[in-house]
Order: sequence, then C-alpha cells, then structure tokens
Amino acid sequence: MERVSAATAGRLPVLLPPGPARGGGAAPWAGRFGAPAAYLVFGLVDILVFGLHAKGDVTFSFTPEFAKVSVPNLSLAAAATAYCCGAVTAALAAVRLLDVLGVVAAGRVARRVLIGAVLFLFVIALLAWASGGQPIPFNVVNLLSGTLSESIPIMLGALTAVICSTSGVINIAIEGQLLLGAFCAAIATTVTGSLWLGLICGALAGSLVAAVLAAFAIAYRVDQVVLGVVLNTLVLGLTGYLYNAIMVPYGDTLNNPATFNPVKIPLLGDIPIIGPVFFDASVFLYLTYALLLVIHFGLARTRWGLRTRAVGEHPVAADTVGIRVLATRYRNVILAGLIAGIGGAYFTVGSVGSFGPDMSSGEGYIALAAMIFGRYTPFGAIGAALLFGFTTQLQSILSSINVPIQSNLLLLTPYVVTIIVVAGLVGKVRGPRAEGIPFVKS
Amino acid sequence: MRHTSLVATVAAAGAATLLIAACGSSTSSASSSAPAASTSTSASAGSAASSTAAGSSASSFLGCMVTDTGGINDKSFNQSAWQGMQEAQSADPGISVKYLQSTTQSDYVPNINTFLGEKCGIIVTVGFLMASATESAAKANPKQDFAIVDCSYASQCLTGAKLSNIDQLVFNTVQDGFLGGYLAAGMSKTGKVATFGGEDFGTVTIYMDGYWDGVQYYNAQHHAHVQVLGWNEQTQKGEFTGDFTNQTKGQTVTQTFISEGADVIFPVAGNVGLGAAKAVQTADAAGGKVSMLWVDTDGCVSAAQYCKYMISSVTKGIQSAVKNAVLSAATGKFAGGTYVGTLANGGAVLSPFHDFSGTVPAALQAELQTIAAGIEKGTIATPTKSPV
Repeated sequence: MERVSAATAGRLPVLLPPGPARGGGAAPWAGRFGAPAAYLVFGLVDILVFGLHAKGDVTFSFTPEFAKVSVPNLSLAAAATAYCCGAVTAALAAVRLLDVLGVVAAGRVARRVLIGAVLFLFVIALLAWASGGQPIPFNVVNLLSGTLSESIPIMLGALTAVICSTSGVINIAIEGQLLLGAFCAAIATTVTGSLWLGLICGALAGSLVAAVLAAFAIAYRVDQVVLGVVLNTLVLGLTGYLYNAIMVPYGDTLNNPATFNPVKIPLLGDIPIIGPVFFDASVFLYLTYALLLVIHFGLARTRWGLRTRAVGEHPVAADTVGIRVLATRYRNVILAGLIAGIGGAYFTVGSVGSFGPDMSSGEGYIALAAMIFGRYTPFGAIGAALLFGFTTQLQSILSSINVPIQSNLLLLTPYVVTIIVVAGLVGKVRGPRAEGIPFVKS
Repeated sequence: MRHTSLVATVAAAGAATLLIAACGSSTSSASSSAPAASTSTSASAGSAASSTAAGSSASSFLGCMVTDTGGINDKSFNQSAWQGMQEAQSADPGISVKYLQSTTQSDYVPNINTFLGEKCGIIVTVGFLMASATESAAKANPKQDFAIVDCSYASQCLTGAKLSNIDQLVFNTVQDGFLGGYLAAGMSKTGKVATFGGEDFGTVTIYMDGYWDGVQYYNAQHHAHVQVLGWNEQTQKGEFTGDFTNQTKGQTVTQTFISEGADVIFPVAGNVGLGAAKAVQTADAAGGKVSMLWVDTDGCVSAAQYCKYMISSVTKGIQSAVKNAVLSAATGKFAGGTYVGTLANGGAVLSPFHDFSGTVPAALQAELQTIAAGIEKGTIATPTKSPV
C-alpha cells in the first residue's frame, strides 16, 4: 500500500505542468498539404469509382411513409450526378490548396464548411452509384429520422460522458447505466402504467449505477477504467438474471410496457422534409435538444460550469480557492447518470417496448468514443454520435437495396467512417488534465 | 490516509480479478452466434448450473444439455431445446434432465466435462458453435452418446472423421422458408417483401434463401414481379443487424423497409425480431397495412403481444427433435447419424395462421399445400447456398 500512495502521489505533479503551446511552428509538409490532397482523393473516388459505375437514374424521395402531404420526388441521372459531385469536390480541393499556399485566406469556419461540403458531395455520389437504376426511390426522410433514432441513446450517453470527464471522472459505466435504465423503465412502466414514471425510474436507475461508480472512484480511488468495466459486467449479469427469473415467467405483468408516441410540434412539424424528422419525433429527441443546450450553456457560462471544469482540470487549485472538489465530482457524476438512464429508457419505453437481455449492445462504449471524438464538448459529442448514427442508417439502407458489397464489410462502415473522419477532422484531442485521477486533499 | 489506501488496494485488486472474468466474457460473447447475453447471476461465474426437480430416485436415465451463450430463455434454439428435454422427461418418468448454461464460449468444454463426470445417458449440445468441443469430447469418450443441434458432418460444421456417437439434429428450413416467401408474396399488396438477418450465419441465411426462392417461385407461377428487399440468394448479400440483441436496430431496419414500400417483413434475428414487430405495429397504427412472419418458433406463442401482425411463423422443430433424441437414447435405440427436420417430418413447417386464418385467401392456402406436397416429393426444388 505504500507503493500505491507513492504512485498516486507521483502521478499528480507529472500531469499538472502547463501543456505545450498549441500551434507553434509551421506544420510539416504532409500536414499542410494533407487536407487538399484528401479532398482530391474524395473527388477522384466520386468520379472514377461512383461515376464510372453508376447506371440509370437515382430518385430521391422526401416523403415519410403513409404521409398525406407529399413532396415531389427528385430524379437525377446517376452518372452525371456523381461526375458533378466529383468535379465540385476537385474545385474545393483547389480552393483549399490556395488557402494552404496563402493565396486566399479561409477562416476556421470556412474550412469546416469545406470539409462538410466534401463529405456531403461524397455521400450524394455514393447514393447515386448505389441507388442508381433501382426501382425503389431513396427515402431521404427515412435516412434522417433513422439517423436520429439510432443516435438518441448514444447522444444521451455522450452527454453523460462529457459531464463526468469534465469533472475529472472517467465514466466507462455508461453501458451499464443504459442497460439498467432500460430495464427499470420497462418494469416501472408496465407496473404503474405511466410512461413518465417509467422514464423517471430509468433515469434514477442510471443515476444509481453512477452513484456506485462515484463512491468507488472518488472515495475509494479505485482505478476508474477497471471499475467502469466491472460495473457494466455486473449490470449485464444482474439484468440478465432478473430477466430470466422474473420477466420471462411474468412477462405480461412486468415486461410489457407501452411506448411514447411521437409528439408533433405545431407549425415546425409541418415543414416539408425537416418537419417530420426533427419536430414530429419522440419526446426523447426533444429532451436531447434541451439537455444539449443546457449542458453547453451550463459548462461554458455558469458558475457550476466553471467549477466543474476547474475540478477536472486542476483540482488542487480549485481546492485552494475553496471549491469542494469531491462534492462537485459526486454531484456531477450522479446527475450525469440521470441522463444516461434516460438514454437507457429510450431502448424500452422510447422505441421497442419490452426489455431484452443486453439490449444496449455496446452503445455505451460508442457514446464514450463519441465524447472523445467530440473533443469533450457537448456539441462535438453530439456531432460524433450523429455521424455514427448516420453511417449506421446509411449502411442499413444500402444493405436493404442489395448494394454489391459484402454484408459483414458493410456492417463495419459506421466504425471505419467514424475513425477516418475523426482522425482527419479532430486531430489531437486533449482531455481534462485531471481526468481519471482521484483527488487527495493533502 | 493509510487506511484508505488499504481499502483502495483491496478494492482495486478485487476489481482487477473481476475484470479478468469480465474480459473473457465480453470478448467471447461478442463473437458468438447466439443472443450474447450473460445470464448468470455473478459476473465472474463461468456457468450456472441447474437441475430440475425430477424424482431422481425413480429415474435411471439422465439427459444433460449444455446451452449456448444465449441462455435458457432466448426465445430461440436454446429455449426450444430445453423444452424438448423437459418434454422427454414428462413423456418417460424414468428420465430426468438437467442443463448447464454457457456464459461464454470458453464454458463449452468445462460444461461438457462436468457432464462427462456425471454419467449422463446423453449429452445434448446446442448450436453450431459447440461443434469442435462436442466433437473432441465424443472422440475421447466413444461410449458416451451425444446429440448436437444445428450442426452436421454434411454441412461441414463437424469436420473430423465421422463418429457414430454423435446424433446430429439439423433442420432444412429452406423448405418452410420457401413456403413463407410464397405466402409473403401472395399477401403483399405493394409487390415488395423484405427479410433481414441477425448475423451472416448459415443457420440464418438458409431461411433467407428459402424466402427468396419462394418469392421467385410465386413470381414464376403468377407472372408477378414481387421484389425481395434485404436479401439476394444469388449474390448472398443483404441486410443484417449485426447481432441478436439490439432490438432498436431491428426497428429502424424494418422502418427502412416499410419506407421503401415493403409490406411483409421476415426478421431472422431472434429477439431483434421484436423490434421489427414494434415497427410493424407503429406502421399499422399510422395507417399502413404491414404484416410479418416470425421465425424459429410460433410467434403467436413466443411473442403473443404481436400475434395480430403475424401472418404465420417459419418454424424449426428443435423441440421435438431433441425430445426424440433423448427418448431414443433412453430406450437404448440411440443410433447416431443425422436427423434432418423437414416439411415431411414436421421439423421445418409453417405454423398455423392464427389471427390471419380468415385473411389469407383460400386459394393461396390451397396453393401452399400443393407446393408443400411438391417440396416433400422433390418436384419443387428449394436451392440454398447454406445446406444442412
């Protein structure tokens, strides 16, 4: 035990000196020309892979199934579409090259817009190739609404991770929080008949797992990564056992919850295309909007946010000025657990109803990755979660129309795309300095 | 200070020990075929043993079963197999049955070894992933009778020299899948039907092949152009959700199919099919006319809350096959070899129509019977690239 305290004491100062200055010196050659070269590759793929192999017309449909109002379909020649996308992408690569050479000066925002445009054109070209000549129109509304429904638990889990990490606690137990939230929401809704009580119970269950995490991580200073994985396994075993022991024999009375119906927001819900996607959706989506704004504003602009960042960045300094480090961490981790619990409730009362063993299927880990890819910021984390949801849904739609790519390979795409985009866009990520390090008041 | 570090050290050590168990569990269940749920009570327990309350004093024959990682309530093959064991017990009071549950794939061998020490009359292993564990145990114990579900020499699931003490129980579900496809095509109003699988395994795609065949046969007979979304037998490519647990994924996949115009959905993905059923229910509530087929078991029994959306179920007679295997071993008639469940012997049949019995046109029902007879006689071919 001497060794442990010595190691803990030894770790702290190492991490505390100020980090290296950012952006010092000129970027190496490969770094400077990497972006325009990558854009050019995208453009060439658009033309040589998608354009040359595309056939027939590609039809985009913008109407949800069984909708009364309909937006006319858009039909384009597939090959021409891909060629156009490729040409525009090549032009964007040229613009980016001029920016690198200093001929035109593009700001940070403009560069981001460029990246977005390149990726957007790439997706359009991909769809032109995959869907061209198919008798079934490509449903854009389904793509977008599917993206959101795939992403909701990941987004909520990622917000949980952002709060915990910013406070200096690594929360790997999001998976367990999702799963227990799903389990408790299903039981509570079935027993009480109230969806909202189910949602609250789900949130509390997530918070319970978070409280256990907090107690061991903060008071007993257990290694937080190990602890999180153990909690996940514990919840997986516990819910699996309870499912067999009580939910299977008493399925009708314990595991048959109603589900939330989509709520349409007046006026906004009537806008074509985006209305049915963003404003005629589950209450979980609206909760996500609200939580995103609250957490973003809270972390950036409030006293709570400042203190949270302080205990995650430099707890010793925070302690010196009178911030109660441990209390702040406890409160934040337990509150954040509520959010993951809501995400878990989505699996049951938000979408399919009844609980099934391991139904969170590793999305808690994806949420954690989304947080890191999103640079520990609420908007970044949500963006990464949406990117994952988008590629998942895109892959699923492509599979359904029999794209000539091996199924197992296609199933990998969400992970591959997330890694590539994040590596290309995000670059080096620096987390809160005291993340994962227990605070010991000396 | 010293006190808390002690607690921390002990807790960390305990946690690390648990992690080792956890790692084993999570990595192997991720690559397993079955619904990858850990069903044991403790994270570190490798397996959970259970025996039924059979009158052990009267019984002389012990039937033993090792489950796959899906566990005993997986609404799929483990559950069906265990029901078969229990039926054998109630059919013959001289038989008692018990099972061991595998939490991870590394439990297969120890579980089989445990039973080898318990003088089991027959050891039933469930699922093709247990092939090598079963084969090596059977080779080392030539006097012990084994039965394995969903696995045979013919399908190259068992690979060694043929052993006479393994009873292979396989199911030619391409046959009832064919009937399901024909039925779906006949019931479709939009001219589009869909299917998807959990993972790209032979035991999954054989259903999808049959479904695809059935639709093509319907098209040929009726000069129709019903389209299959989500699978193509010729290219062997299609839609898979990637696991057997993520029901939300099953729901969004089904919504995609519905948005593409499909109105009969056939999920081949165990519990993930419940997500598909939810999507069908939602679509019907929104004014659509979408229905589905269930897989493996009769959906009106195993997922009764969605019965009114199920035209029929494409079943797999694991229950009766296991029951018969145990009974024949108990009466000394164990022969080894391969049992193939088919339309003819009831091992791969469509379930009754239940709520749809008044909706499926009489002409279509008659055609299905004719086709079933044709398949049994071999006059109608049911090709598949995943033969049993």
